[in-house]
Amino acid sequence: MGSRDSEHAKRPDRPGPAPEAVKFLVAGGFGVGKTTLVGAVSEVAPVRTEEYLTRASAGVDDIEGLAGKETTTVALDFGRITISPELVVYLFGTPGQERFWFMWNDLVQGALGAVVLVDTRRLEVSFASIDFFENRGVPFVVGVNCFHGHRDRTEAEVREALDLDPAVPLVMGDVRRQDAARDLLLALVDHLMERAAAGEDEAVRDSA
Amino acid sequence: MSHWTDGMEPDDAEQTLIRPYTITRGRTVPERDDLTLITMVATVDDDELPAAGRLEPEHRAILDRCRTPAALAEIAATLDLPVSVTKILIDDLISLGRVKVRAPRPADQGGLNTTLLQAVRDGLQRL
Repeated sequence: MGSRDSEHAKRPDRPGPAPEAVKFLVAGGFGVGKTTLVGAVSEVAPVRTEEYLTRASAGVDDIEGLAGKETTTVALDFGRITISPELVVYLFGTPGQERFWFMWNDLVQGALGAVVLVDTRRLEVSFASIDFFENRGVPFVVGVNCFHGHRDRTEAEVREALDLDPAVPLVMGDVRRQDAARDLLLALVDHLMERAAAGEDEAVRDSA
Repeated sequence: MSHWTDGMEPDDAEQTLIRPYTITRGRTVPERDDLTLITMVATVDDDELPAAGRLEPEHRAILDRCRTPAALAEIAATLDLPVSVTKILIDDLISLGRVKVRAPRPADQGGLNTTLLQAVRDGLQRL
């Protein structure tokens, strides 16, 4: 162990004993329960971090609502699930104001997938997140947050209202519950595994 | 003789914007562009290195925090600094050989790696 450590010390870029990290995003509009979901499965209370976004750092010339404003601060909450000494999952709940975090390339890049939470009483607040992941080609599942076990719409109704691709999984559940939050993440991982298995076929079909 | 700036509150409006970048001596972007929110950072054992010398207190706080490897976002949260400022400080420590980093796999590789995905799945099922 000692000799291995000193070798890494001289070569800081070489993968060392630090665990591998993977990232999932939890998105949806304001107030749909993103931080609640993160908190339900995280081994630590959700932690807040923030970033300054500028038009320059976002790589865009002009954004509606940001014209004339060079810098804004966005804050997000994230949690951690240690899978093993070699592997850690980070869950980032995206900030409520989509037009800001959509520009945050570091937040989106490297995400293996996303959960988009929807509230059936306010489906429209999650439309922008769904559009965003579709356009960026980030795999996602939709979680219908059923507070207090309340289900006022069927899965088919929600799918239709969201105009959801039939291949995108949709899961109903109360994300305050750890088992429901976990099942939502499992649905995402299963979706990723199906895509991985079908990857080559899909690529051929897409180009046809 | 009075001056027109008399009575002005020093630094008020710009304070929250400017101050974090004084820690970085005015730099607003790191030299490297490959540090991400989930790049893992681990402190290198001190024994073989020269004394910490003129590191800023924030650099030292990162070294303390990363004796247990931590993601860049966690370090930013611990130090209560914006992510971009934290990146510059970590970049300094990489240059000095004080920390080693582990970058995540690109999503298009990790997302298609069934071994990795299965490990995540098994871990989630233990929750």
